[in-house]
Amino acid sequence: MSSVPAAGVPATSAPVLEIRDLRIALPRGGERALAVDGASLTVNAGEMVCLVGESGSGKSVIAQATMGLLPAALSPRAGSILLDGEDVLRASEERLRELRCTRMSMVFQEPMTALNPVLTCGEQIDEVLATHTSLGAAERRGRTLAIVADVGLPEAPRMIASYPHQLSGGQRQRVMIAMALVLNPRLLIADEPTTALDVTTQAQILALLRELRRAHGTGVLFITHDFGVVAEIADRVAVLRQGEVVEFGEVRALLTHPQHEYTRRLIAAVPSLKPRERSVAADAPVVLATRGLSKSYARGRWWRRGGDVVVAARDVTLSIRRGETLGIVGESGSGKSTVARCIARLVEPSTGVIALDGVDIATLGAGTLRPMRRRVQIVFQDPYRSLNPRRTVGQALIEGPMNYGQTREAALERARALMDLVKMDAAALDRFPHQFSGGQRQRICIARALAIEPDLLIADEPVSALDVSVQAQVLALLDQIRERLNLAMLFITHDLRVAAQVCDRVAVMQRGRIVESGPIADVYANPQHAYTRALIAAAPGRSWQFGKG
Amino acid sequence: MHSGTVVAGIVVLALIVAMGLAAPLFTDFDPTSINPVMRNKTPGAIETLRTDDGKTVEVRHWMGTDSLGRDVASRVVYGARASLLVGLSVALISVCIGLVIGLTAGYVRSLDGVIMRFMDGLMAIPAILLAIAVVSLSSAGLLAVIVAIVIPEVPRVVRLVRAVVLSVREEPYVEAAISLGTPTLPLIVRHILPNTLPPLIVQATYVCASAILIEAILSFLGVGIPSQVPTWGNIMAEGRTLFRVYPHTILYPGIFLALTVLAVNMLGDGLRDSLDPRLQRRL
Repeated sequence: MSSVPAAGVPATSAPVLEIRDLRIALPRGGERALAVDGASLTVNAGEMVCLVGESGSGKSVIAQATMGLLPAALSPRAGSILLDGEDVLRASEERLRELRCTRMSMVFQEPMTALNPVLTCGEQIDEVLATHTSLGAAERRGRTLAIVADVGLPEAPRMIASYPHQLSGGQRQRVMIAMALVLNPRLLIADEPTTALDVTTQAQILALLRELRRAHGTGVLFITHDFGVVAEIADRVAVLRQGEVVEFGEVRALLTHPQHEYTRRLIAAVPSLKPRERSVAADAPVVLATRGLSKSYARGRWWRRGGDVVVAARDVTLSIRRGETLGIVGESGSGKSTVARCIARLVEPSTGVIALDGVDIATLGAGTLRPMRRRVQIVFQDPYRSLNPRRTVGQALIEGPMNYGQTREAALERARALMDLVKMDAAALDRFPHQFSGGQRQRICIARALAIEPDLLIADEPVSALDVSVQAQVLALLDQIRERLNLAMLFITHDLRVAAQVCDRVAVMQRGRIVESGPIADVYANPQHAYTRALIAAAPGRSWQFGKG
Repeated sequence: MHSGTVVAGIVVLALIVAMGLAAPLFTDFDPTSINPVMRNKTPGAIETLRTDDGKTVEVRHWMGTDSLGRDVASRVVYGARASLLVGLSVALISVCIGLVIGLTAGYVRSLDGVIMRFMDGLMAIPAILLAIAVVSLSSAGLLAVIVAIVIPEVPRVVRLVRAVVLSVREEPYVEAAISLGTPTLPLIVRHILPNTLPPLIVQATYVCASAILIEAILSFLGVGIPSQVPTWGNIMAEGRTLFRVYPHTILYPGIFLALTVLAVNMLGDGLRDSLDPRLQRRL
């Protein structure tokens, strides 16, 4: 390649990308024979096509196949992937290298790992130009600065001199997008580009992609699992289930009149932003009350204490009544998990009071704390890491009761009852965690937390790692259990839709502080704080009525 | 376990272990009996022995004899005992000691600094120098050699165990167990210890291989096990002076030493691959 492709390649009637009846085999002994089973779709110039599916549906495999980046174990069996009429499945390795960045580019989910940490952002964009064009150093610098400004990064010269770790997640993703678009490719593949970002940053990146696609005439294949994002940006949508495109059509029609039963189920599972209505008895006893709870970490060493202090949570005051669910919402780094872990006494709070039924547990030592531990239990975000892979489900469920003096027989009896409560088969007790799906594991974690009959259940992003259909089931289960056992629940989430489904009251956290709290319906309908308003405005697909609500 | 390297390593090791255990069956000579007539014979030399009833028997020195007329083949075969014994016991002892210290350093944060600085100090002394110092403080013998090799190996095991403990203790399932009120000792035994075992088993094979080598080096330097007990190291040490003329006294024990260390390392590499869950789940 000796010259730079000009911007705005004359639009032809043929699509930029045409995938025809693509079949890609999984290695023998996989969960199914084909990772991609007869997928067909097209992306036109300047069009945003969303590829939606749950985890394992083969979305990323399609992206990898298009970029010629399939892992060696996966082999295309049939079909073709036409990029401007040229079949990339049959292209040589050398030709693929030419095509990448000049004709097709990809933006990945995690910008921190997709960027090289030892090169500045400018050097990484420059490398693309140096590899594919014959431009001189000064011209390359000019183009780098131009594209960095194009993706909305301020102070372009400073940005290109920065290393990835010096930028925020959103800025890193902008650099990735700049790198992908610097040669004006015809096709951009974005593989969950906003999943690792906070909701307000996500809204900005989505707006940026929409604008760039229009300005550059790039066709975008946007891979996502989030129907909110789909409603926000898609022109057309392809729904993928187990490697098969079950439905492909214009976004409005697909969202309002989904033809396939699977699409209907997926759309119905998207939680509504409209809070459910439920009232808690105002005279229910307060189970947990914190006053002035703070947690700060001192950076540096003992010989220079008093240097940097990072305040993770500051002056947090909240209370939860029996039978009530309090949500803490906020973006990553807002301190919501720190508060949860302080209340569960997994970290030592710096100052403040954590009153559990009136007893302050904030300062209790290990010995006196132990009897109080059974009254607060916690369910974590990642179901794959929450269960010890070397112990059976049964062993996990009887551990707590046996710690508090129950016999093995009684604990096992209880474990069987709990499995029934979380709607799982008691035969699962003899099996190991890796034999279960993410949703099943999260049920097991809930059962484990309930095994010692806590008064307060803390759920720290319990559904964030789950697919939307499983998410709905686990949320419903948590709500039923709180109802049935009359528990107090502290529910931590970054997702306003999820919070709307289970919470009675909500506290919004920003930079370690609670900036607003109140009954969820009031907060959502009439947000007082600017940050709450920004969060609600950034919720993807807000204008769309999802769910039954 | 379908790893070729593991199988090959196990087969070679099993043969060498069998050879050491059944040493008397393999040789016609006492490894320590001196024979002035048969000094420095080349491999394949034939010795005529007179039995009690007056008959003569011809016996072959497959690997020749050394400068005292001892049969090299029988010394090499018996030497396997000392080498394997040192390798196994050093691996076992240093893993046990290192595991306890590593778990303590990794879990009890207040002790971490003190323990690890002490271990750093130990690691700063060259292993062989430390071993020579330890052996020369006591009388040379099997036990002294084992202790001398264990001391420099322990810090390596401690570092590994501590690193694993530091990452495992942050896992949500450990935090869940803490919330469930599990006391410290059961918490470590049930949830942390089992996760340290796979890397530890691999480390043990490397410790074993390095111990066999260090023992040979110590014997070669003349500070190891005395020559009444044949070891590969001291057979080579004694052959050193006549190496140019009679290379076989160094060649044969050297081959066995290299084979054993190779087999143990192959076993370790193979185990590392098959015990590492990240490598297993790879597509």
